[in-house]
Amino acid sequence: MPPKSRPPRWADWLLERFLSPYLLEDVQGDLHEVFYKRMAQVGVTRARHEYSWAVLHYLSPFFFKPAPSEPNSSVYPSPSLLNLSMLRNYLTIALRTLAHNKAYSIINVVGLSIGLAAAMLIILYTKDEVSYDRFHANNPNLYRITSRDITPGDQKPGYNTNTGIFQGPKFTAGTPEILSFVRFQSNQHDIKQGNEVKSQETFSTDPEFFQLFSFPLLSGDPKTALTHPKSVVVSEDMAEKQFGTREALGKIMFIKTNEQFEPYTVSGVAKKCPQNSSIKFDILLPITISKEDFAQSDNWFSFFLNTFVLLRPDADSKAVEATINRIYQTDAKNTIVEMAKKFGIKSKTIYSLQPLTEMHLSTDLPVNNGLVDESSPAFSYILSGIALFVLLIACINFVNLTIARSLKRAKEIGVRKVVGGGRSQLVVQFLGESFLLCFVAFGLAILLLLLVLPTFNQLANKALSFMYLLDIKLMAGYVGLFLMTGLLAGFYPAVILSGFSPVQSLYSRFRFTGRNYLQRGLIVLQFSLASFLIVATLTINSQFNYLTTKSLGYDDSNLVSVNKSSLKRNEARLLKSELMKFPSIVDVAPKNQGFWGTVAKVNGEKQLSFAYETVDETYLPLFKIPVLTGRNFSPDFPSDSTQSVLVNESFVKEAGWKNPIGQEVNFFAYETPERYKVIGVVKDYHFVALNQKIRPQLFTMKPKNDFGKVFVKIKPHTETESLRAIEQTFKKLFPISPYSYSFLDQDNLKKYESEAKWKQIMLFGAILTIFISCIGLLGLATLSAERRTKEIGIRKVLGASVSSIVQLLSSDFLRLVGFSFVFAFPAAYYAIDKWLENYPYRIEISAWMFALAALLAILIAFFTVSFQSIRAALSNPVKSLRAE
Amino acid sequence: MRRAFLGEFEEIVLLVVAACPAEAYGVTIWEDLQQQTGRSITLSAVHATLYRLEEKGFLSSTMGGATAERGGRRKRFFTLTAIGVRALNDVQEVRSRLWRAIPPGKFQLIGI
Repeated sequence: MPPKSRPPRWADWLLERFLSPYLLEDVQGDLHEVFYKRMAQVGVTRARHEYSWAVLHYLSPFFFKPAPSEPNSSVYPSPSLLNLSMLRNYLTIALRTLAHNKAYSIINVVGLSIGLAAAMLIILYTKDEVSYDRFHANNPNLYRITSRDITPGDQKPGYNTNTGIFQGPKFTAGTPEILSFVRFQSNQHDIKQGNEVKSQETFSTDPEFFQLFSFPLLSGDPKTALTHPKSVVVSEDMAEKQFGTREALGKIMFIKTNEQFEPYTVSGVAKKCPQNSSIKFDILLPITISKEDFAQSDNWFSFFLNTFVLLRPDADSKAVEATINRIYQTDAKNTIVEMAKKFGIKSKTIYSLQPLTEMHLSTDLPVNNGLVDESSPAFSYILSGIALFVLLIACINFVNLTIARSLKRAKEIGVRKVVGGGRSQLVVQFLGESFLLCFVAFGLAILLLLLVLPTFNQLANKALSFMYLLDIKLMAGYVGLFLMTGLLAGFYPAVILSGFSPVQSLYSRFRFTGRNYLQRGLIVLQFSLASFLIVATLTINSQFNYLTTKSLGYDDSNLVSVNKSSLKRNEARLLKSELMKFPSIVDVAPKNQGFWGTVAKVNGEKQLSFAYETVDETYLPLFKIPVLTGRNFSPDFPSDSTQSVLVNESFVKEAGWKNPIGQEVNFFAYETPERYKVIGVVKDYHFVALNQKIRPQLFTMKPKNDFGKVFVKIKPHTETESLRAIEQTFKKLFPISPYSYSFLDQDNLKKYESEAKWKQIMLFGAILTIFISCIGLLGLATLSAERRTKEIGIRKVLGASVSSIVQLLSSDFLRLVGFSFVFAFPAAYYAIDKWLENYPYRIEISAWMFALAALLAILIAFFTVSFQSIRAALSNPVKSLRAE
Repeated sequence: MRRAFLGEFEEIVLLVVAACPAEAYGVTIWEDLQQQTGRSITLSAVHATLYRLEEKGFLSSTMGGATAERGGRRKRFFTLTAIGVRALNDVQEVRSRLWRAIPPGKFQLIGI
């Protein structure tokens, strides 16, 4: 019985389980030898018993313990991961590989450096955004007084960032925690500059201005600079402009206040305001508030300036808020009741303190009324998103190309492993290579950053400088970015490449099969991001075109707008008659300056707020705005100026009139309530920018309202002579008024500046992502064509045409690009839909936008890939097949 | 080097290895041992002692070539090392010194 004539299996199994491997062979051998001897002597059964018994004797810890450490190990210490000569070898190999594969290296370095530069730029931008107003030494104790109106039953409070003359002094007087206050009011004043008169933005403020804020003075005493009512502080730029020198202390400036020029003494010259300041002034005047104004309690309701307060360092801002609201409730008690009665105000005003440093990026309480550079965190988010996209795509390129190219390096990896390279060593090597590339890209990125910074500043309306980089935190951020990019780009390839089996790679049977999924996935991701940005860019573009080309409802061509504050009726008539003498001038129409809004009662009770325009009968014809029903103002009806108004369609709709002509509008809030009859309805036109809805609008000829500007319609192509005519006439009639003009169609375009900027930034982002995606694709196509040279050669020999080979090589990539739309388009649809919701007048999202984006992406990808494919397809098969 | 202690069994195993004319491995040593001492000894005891002696440096071992009779498993051949020889010499010297120290006629007194 042959199976029995061998040692029992279980005993062997036990032995093999239990014995330390290095002992197993000879011990088991000896046991077997004895078994066979005994089998011959005493028979199988006995021998088997003895064998089993003997085996059991081996079950002791002595035989179980692992082999004593190899004596070799002390002779040859295992090399450390970062052995110097190994490092030198890695560097040599890395540089050699980079030099041998120039296309690959260039694609990686260029892609990464663009990505890094974009990311750096955005870090710079974001840093600047959050650094606004942080330079004041009194932070974080500086606050701005803001308020919100809470109407019962209304969820969203009305925010108000401005205050009046009372809040500062009265709150400070009643709250010990408030150390001091500063009011900051923006004005427009005429200033004599040599023989010329210039209209200039000025700011009126309290004497404590320079104690609260850290704006250093070049000359003058910050404590007393603004104490004298006829003193003025100018910026160094202004001093240079006005006096030709910065040493302007004590010099006289003529500023028009109270209808005439008065001398102001320069009491201080301030350094240029930092660019990350919400307060930027050229001329500072002491604020003057008359006793009568200060006595008038209803000034609690007049908001027109910004008030800042300095709290004691130990003060609790919440407690201070409670105190100031108490002061307001007691001091303004009577007025609140009075105003509520007079205007039917139901809302309640609650004051709060906004930290100065939060002003810049606040969406509810933005900077305005003299404070500049209003921004929104959305800008930072969108820009960061784009930068992240670009960087991610560049990293994907790196990963894809490194893995795809690894076929060529499989032999190197195999040899390294055969001669004893550990996996961790290979990981270190490949990570090191990616860091090396990243380092080169980093250097290039800094150069790139320097190059594009001026353009970016212009686009983002910033004054960023490279000096900003010299900041510890920012440097740390950049180094972090560098490390992150190196790791992101290098980690996966390092792990994959180091895992190659040396036997397979040296047999050169090595093929990528399963891992292609990752490569494909990454290409899909890349092109998803790119096509997302294409769709976004197309949308912004067409929305912008829509905004700028949509008919505004009036004719803004060849219209010159000339400002003239407080233009009296007779002056307007005189100006018109003088101007009409020139043949190039078609017509002239005066209008009030700026935007007026007010409220009136209609239908007896209903209150309506609307834009209030003071015009004369020439205004509507000049703008070619049609009157739908009723009639325009007319000189034939002398009562028009005192009894009649025109309203627009939105007004009629809001008032709910079926029969608008003859309806009454009651300006109840005036000292003597005034009533007007509607004589005509004007077709709605966009009197404000298109990103706002058309609101009710009312036209009056009320003689008491001054005009503020005139519109001059000129004949086409007569700009030069017309402008000269207008200027001559204006200077002749109003020698001491500043003259400034603008073309209305250009003004209208300016309203969409922010859209125009976003359009450009998005375009940039899209171009960058597409560019980087495409160079990545180019690299992959090159590698794939290289890998398939033999296949292509054989196909050609067997009769394949060039076009079929191009198709073979391109279709794979194009399919992936097509697949990416599945992800990109829904996301893009969602995003642009959200964005377009901001616009009351907007384009509809249409399929052609997506079709165009798809076509664009596919075309670009096709051209990129086909370049390589055609080259591969045209190559001589003899060459590729002969080489082995 | 510290003077290694040699146990009685270890000493005998070492002597058997030394006395073995051909290449000594587990089975031959085991058989010789039983023959020389007349004791019944388990193979595992011999193996354990051999490996311990190797660890102590008195023996060294090499694996031989593949064999036919034991399922192709190789044999581990043991040879005495210089330290092993010195240890045996030391033991023998101690013994003979002690033997010489025994007063003559002592054994006769005991009456054997």
